[in-house]
Amino acid sequence: MALLIRTHYKLARTAIKENRTRSFLTCLGIAIGVASIILILSLMGSISNLIKNEVAEIGSDLIVVRPTATKDTVTNIVEELTTANSFQKSSLALNDIKAIADVEGVTAVAPIAISTNTVASDKNTFSSVPILGTNVDFIKIEPLTLRHGAFLTKANEAHSVVLGHTLSLALFNTINSTVGQMVTIMGEKFMVVGVLDEINKSINFDNIDFDNALIMSADSLDKITGSTQIQQINIKAASTDLLPQISENIEKALANQKLGDQNFTVAYGDEISHPASSLFTIVSGMLTLVAAISLVVGGIGVMNIMLVSVSERNHEIGVRKAVGASSRNILMQFLFEALILSILGGIFGLVLGYAFAFLISTITPFSPYISWEILLITLLTTLAVGIIFGIYPAIKAAAKNPIDSLKHYR
Amino acid sequence: MSENILIELKGLTKRYGYGDTETFALKDFDLTIKRGEFIMIMGPSGCGKTTLLDIIGLLDRATRGEYILNGENVAGISARRQAKLRAKKIGFVFQNFNLIEDLPIIENVALPLVYTGYTKTSRLKQASSALKRFHLQEREYYYPYQLSGGQQQRVAIARAIVGSPEIILADEPTGNLDSRSSHIVMEELKAIHEEGNTIIMVTHNPSLTVYATRVINMLDGQIDTDVKTVADANLPQPISVKIKRRKERKAAIAASIELPTSDSVKESKESQESTSEPIKNSDQSDQTKDTKHSKKKSKHRRKK
Repeated sequence: MALLIRTHYKLARTAIKENRTRSFLTCLGIAIGVASIILILSLMGSISNLIKNEVAEIGSDLIVVRPTATKDTVTNIVEELTTANSFQKSSLALNDIKAIADVEGVTAVAPIAISTNTVASDKNTFSSVPILGTNVDFIKIEPLTLRHGAFLTKANEAHSVVLGHTLSLALFNTINSTVGQMVTIMGEKFMVVGVLDEINKSINFDNIDFDNALIMSADSLDKITGSTQIQQINIKAASTDLLPQISENIEKALANQKLGDQNFTVAYGDEISHPASSLFTIVSGMLTLVAAISLVVGGIGVMNIMLVSVSERNHEIGVRKAVGASSRNILMQFLFEALILSILGGIFGLVLGYAFAFLISTITPFSPYISWEILLITLLTTLAVGIIFGIYPAIKAAAKNPIDSLKHYR
Repeated sequence: MSENILIELKGLTKRYGYGDTETFALKDFDLTIKRGEFIMIMGPSGCGKTTLLDIIGLLDRATRGEYILNGENVAGISARRQAKLRAKKIGFVFQNFNLIEDLPIIENVALPLVYTGYTKTSRLKQASSALKRFHLQEREYYYPYQLSGGQQQRVAIARAIVGSPEIILADEPTGNLDSRSSHIVMEELKAIHEEGNTIIMVTHNPSLTVYATRVINMLDGQIDTDVKTVADANLPQPISVKIKRRKERKAAIAASIELPTSDSVKESKESQESTSEPIKNSDQSDQTKDTKHSKKKSKHRRKK
């Protein structure tokens, strides 16, 4: 049996070599499908990996509260997608912060309210600058380091801002300290009290790119924009061991505050790294589906080529049967050919997918994520594609009548 | 001599079509074939010769009737078992050679061995020695289209005998060849027959019947005339040797060959010796010398 398998493998290899161009193009079909799946999986993996690492860096005493739709149904997700600004519907409010701060075991609470606005200095004006509204506790939870100046304090938070490294450079055309300079947002003047160190991590669990952001107090942001929507509340717990207890208490306090509405999630540990928005889930799901469709198209290519090969080699099948090949031998021969085509395509796609992922990683903060799960998924998928799309042509070849096939002389 | 019966066909019928289109390619066909016979089947087109050959070769099934091969009724066996018997017991030679165009001739010859479980090296070794017998050794890696018709048919015969089958079925093997190539092919078949193989051959050429030990004329799916030219007792018989391992077979056969009694046997012995020679991994010049030598031998034989 092992001998026959080796023979089938060699036969398939010869057949594939004989039709190099055709085989290459067929492989390419599979490769593109596999490459897109690899690309999506590795990028998605890299995102949650980045967040996981960050959470691990910050420490295990972090609790996060996020607004959620009342039920995570498809209708809600679609609704969220079709609404222009999904965060405008946040169910968290500034007074929730106080409620959480009163919970026993909570040492620091900071809201994260992100909006975008035009920021001007006496030199430059930038529109669409991400503005993070928070409070003085933020620095206690998030390990941000400042290059110049200091973070907001209770005394100065009403009229002060902290700039991200890149933003400071862009606004004032200097990498030197800009502490003491003034910026204008919506006609209000604010003084720069601190400039952050370069972080270069635009993907994090706060969902904000600190290098380009302006940080101010949530109350001031509320004043200039009129209304503030909170995307997330970061909480530092007093003790790691009491995390479940504390998060339960927070949940109770918030439910009380909101008169029993459960439109928020309290997360800690690994849960934090789960995609924050359903948008992320739905987009990656859609992309995977598209990639899967392209893999199916590749599979159809394999089937097509195998059918051509079967009818081309009708005579060969007849000769092989006449000299003693059983239908099963013929079936295996053609199935092996389809399998080798798809596995070759899979390997090719794996390389192609990671090459693309590396290419993307050079211009984005992603780093391609390689895991044995992804490799296993690729191998199993290509095997499945090979069998599913190779079995029909192989059965067709095996069912040929040797007498008729022998008459079919090229 | 009843134990010497190789094939027994009883009431074999093959019907094509139903109702108004019903025709019989074979009709209650009875035939007994002994080991060592060289049978030529003749008859007009459409009398059922090829159908008979296909059924004997287990490529086709009879509509009714019994087919006993080596004492076993094989009329109703599974397709898988049919394939197994084809691989081990039957060699085919076709009118249009039926070589696989994409394979070099050595792999064409080795093809039956693929399905009987030989390793690639031993397959190629056996194919090489079979080709050597037909003086095609130096063309082992030629492709079929690079050979003449006569050479291609010799490759096909090498393929038919490589697995040492008991029966060789030839369907008009000389039909596509000129008279000279026909003669060479027939000489080869004769030599194979003299080693004790059973050959059943379909032909349209009456001049070839001189090679046969039995000539059957068919008409409308039945036997018209059946003439034996050699007594059953004088039929060449296969050398039976008991071996434990397949590898030892050739040496065992070579050792058990008896002293020649007639000219024809002498010739066959000569050719057998050349096949039973162990394959040396000698250098190229050695090999070509060897083939030149055997070429001379064959020329000599043809002059005779």
